[in-house]
Amino acid sequence: MRSLFSILSIVLSVHTGNAQHHTLAIGQTAPVISLPSLKDGIITLSSLKGKLVLVDFWASWCAPCVKEQPVLKSLYEKFGDQVDAGKLEILGVSLDRSRENWLKAINKYQITWLQASDLKYWNSPVAKAYGISELPYNVIVNGEGKVVAINLHGKELEAFIDNYFRSKK
Amino acid sequence: MKTKINYLLLLTVIVLINVSLLSAQQKPEPWRTDQLMATSALAAKIESNQTADLLILSIGPDAIIKGSVAIGPTQEAANLAKLKNYLKQVPKDKKVVLYCGCCPFDKCPNIRPAFSTLNKMGFKNAELLNIPKNIKVDWIDKGYPTKD
Repeated sequence: MRSLFSILSIVLSVHTGNAQHHTLAIGQTAPVISLPSLKDGIITLSSLKGKLVLVDFWASWCAPCVKEQPVLKSLYEKFGDQVDAGKLEILGVSLDRSRENWLKAINKYQITWLQASDLKYWNSPVAKAYGISELPYNVIVNGEGKVVAINLHGKELEAFIDNYFRSKK
Repeated sequence: MKTKINYLLLLTVIVLINVSLLSAQQKPEPWRTDQLMATSALAAKIESNQTADLLILSIGPDAIIKGSVAIGPTQEAANLAKLKNYLKQVPKDKKVVLYCGCCPFDKCPNIRPAFSTLNKMGFKNAELLNIPKNIKVDWIDKGYPTKD
């Protein structure tokens, strides 16, 4: 029976074996993010020191990313107390090329967290710095600017943030 | 022991048949496999300035590839109309290479409407640039020629 499982797992892994290769590792200092914000000025990751920051790499042209925005919105609302207390923030980094499409998506999904983009699409230096090879992609950075999680989504993402704040109590 | 091996073999065959049936049931793509152009082949042509017989059209968010024409994401009706309009002046036997590169083929919303449009308009030498992941991994990171 054990060999049956191994055969099955090989067959399955052929189909799901497109996992992302990270150049980024947990425990590492998060690469610099310094990008134009949605309104005026520049947003830097370093200005958010002291907070747990979910950096969400996305784009309006990326269907699974767009689908995830309502999930992030409910997360942002669920942890609203932590956001208000300056302990948590989401930083959306968009790989959009068109400002118009970027804005449209933000308005459509009523995104209220921080948004930044150099509008350079896959040419963005931030995509290189974080070794992104596929969207959606995210990292969680702790108050000291260290990467504490890479590419968590859905329930796993929620559980991670939940546990993080539980352990801080 | 022998029956166990046979049993496993049978199961493997069943699993494989199911997998192939599943993929056969998927909607056929508007392109044929021989219409997929390798990125290395296109890069070589651009690097050796042998693109006179080619029309390279970006139907994704940005025209990253050197010498390509930006149409815009063809999932939007306005850009699909732009593509049709642009192609009106192009001879039907011209070799037209389409590329998007936002996402892997299965998630890309632009390549199918664009390629179907070329088919409907009667372009005989339409090709699709084979970008398994995206334009960063399969083009920029390889150092192939870009616009900048």
